[in-house]
Amino acid sequence: MKREGTLPRIGKGFGVAALLLFSLFPAYWMFSTALDTDAARRGASLLPTSLTWSHMARVLEDGGFGLYLRNSALIALGTVLLSALIALLAAVAVARFTFSFRKAVLVMILIVQMVPLEALVIPLFLQARNLQMLNSLIGLMIVYLALSLPFAIWMLRGFVAAVPVEIEEAAYMDGASWGRMFRSILLPLVAPGVVATSVFSFITAWNEFIFALTFLQDANKYTVAVGLQKFFGQNTADWGAVMAASTLITLPVIIFFVVVQRRLASGLSAGAVKG
Amino acid sequence: MSTAPSVGVAPLASPGPGARPDPARRRKARRRSATRPWFLLSPALVVLGVLLLWPLARVVWLSFQDYGLQQLVSGETNFVGLANYREILGSDYLWTVVLPNTAGFAAVCVVATVGLGTMAAVFLNILKPTWRTICSTAVMVAWAVPAITGTYVWVWLFDPLNGLVATTLADLGVIEPGTVNWFTDRLGFYAIATLNVVHHGFPFVAITVLAALMTVPKELYEAAIVDGASSWQRFWTITVPILKPVFAVVTILSTIWDFKVFTQVYLMPGGNGGNSEVFNLGVWSYIQSFSQGKYGMGSAIAVLLTLILLVITLVYMRTLFKEEEL
Repeated sequence: MKREGTLPRIGKGFGVAALLLFSLFPAYWMFSTALDTDAARRGASLLPTSLTWSHMARVLEDGGFGLYLRNSALIALGTVLLSALIALLAAVAVARFTFSFRKAVLVMILIVQMVPLEALVIPLFLQARNLQMLNSLIGLMIVYLALSLPFAIWMLRGFVAAVPVEIEEAAYMDGASWGRMFRSILLPLVAPGVVATSVFSFITAWNEFIFALTFLQDANKYTVAVGLQKFFGQNTADWGAVMAASTLITLPVIIFFVVVQRRLASGLSAGAVKG
Repeated sequence: MSTAPSVGVAPLASPGPGARPDPARRRKARRRSATRPWFLLSPALVVLGVLLLWPLARVVWLSFQDYGLQQLVSGETNFVGLANYREILGSDYLWTVVLPNTAGFAAVCVVATVGLGTMAAVFLNILKPTWRTICSTAVMVAWAVPAITGTYVWVWLFDPLNGLVATTLADLGVIEPGTVNWFTDRLGFYAIATLNVVHHGFPFVAITVLAALMTVPKELYEAAIVDGASSWQRFWTITVPILKPVFAVVTILSTIWDFKVFTQVYLMPGGNGGNSEVFNLGVWSYIQSFSQGKYGMGSAIAVLLTLILLVITLVYMRTLFKEEEL
């Protein structure tokens, strides 16, 4: 490897700085405003004047954000569990079996992902209204299950297909039934894939806005996405509180993303042979 | 949020046991392996059918009705044929405001997202592993910031009174403090929305293109260097042709996502109904339905948006099927 000249190295350093600045600045501005004592009059000062937890405390105690966090976590958790189970079964079906309409099922799974939520929210709102499920966390969870499912199936299908068929066949040779093979061979091998997929389902449910906005009318049923609007007045905003609440929403997602980034790479390669 | 169908390759796997028991058992096993995939698929198909396909049929059905608050309460139907579509397609508002806000905005966002994402990927690819990890983690953070909270940050950055941008420009003497509000101006509004959407969308392009770049064999570049090709020539004759399929996928997916941007517009000042100059198709549909109570009209707009996305998706599927065996 030849040594780099000074000019390319300066160029690279400049590029790294620009990329880091552009990528991280909004997140930095969010976190630093959330901790800034004088958040509302922050203006152009890049560093907070002094640090405080008061916005966080105000958001959690007076703003009722603790309740919204709990609602969102419950919905997201329910979505993740159901979605992982249903998607795994479907993924095994499309990755491991040949059957008529298999291609049609795959095409449908691809196509439904492009449907705009605005087209779904109107009929589902009317439906939920008839079923008296408008203010219910379970109603919202069922919708999120449907929203997260196509992508989860598509992603898990890749993980299931990556497990060599020979391992399954070896299990049958040893006299295992299909169910036994599924539990003892396939499930442990695709577990990293299930984790990665679950993270995406969690994020889908955690971030969703339009259905939560439309379905939830009762303030103590709010999820975090809708609860945020509480800190806006007619023409003003309590920016310290908005950014503190935004931080509480954003941090778990960032952590999950960075975790899943590793998992995705290792999950795909660390597969079969260990079994 | 930007989730993407992963482009994994699945071979057509052979089902069932590899052992060869007696014929009767084999027949039974074959019958079971014919019904088992449907058994495994049924929960997913029920959920997708009831919560995605049936509502889609219902929204088309609603779009042929004048369905307002009265019908909402009584539950009766009120068919008006194509009147909603005629009203939408015949209005200047669609052609001069909403459609440019949707298609023009999407076009600018796609070009900027794919361009910036590719530049970031090419740059990450030449970095040493440590810096590449640091930078791609930073890019993942930009991806992870949810659309809701990300939008509020951009609104706060461009806040006319105390925002970072206004204060900086006022300190520099470019603008009079407190006199400029970018959100009320259609172009200013969409400039900020573009910044927001591109910032949220470029990581997906960068990470996907980077993954593809890392699969390009180093020998190709070495051979080109021996042949005396400049780095610019190497980029255009080696990198671009190999990345073509990946470009097709990220471009079309970005197009689909940018056509249906909702949260980022709705949550900006004026986007939730205050300023009809800034609506795009999705927001217009939502406002018609849930602010005006015209569910039939809102459905017709939503159907139009869905049809546009369907056309783009069909192009996407053709591209995808050329690349892989389903």
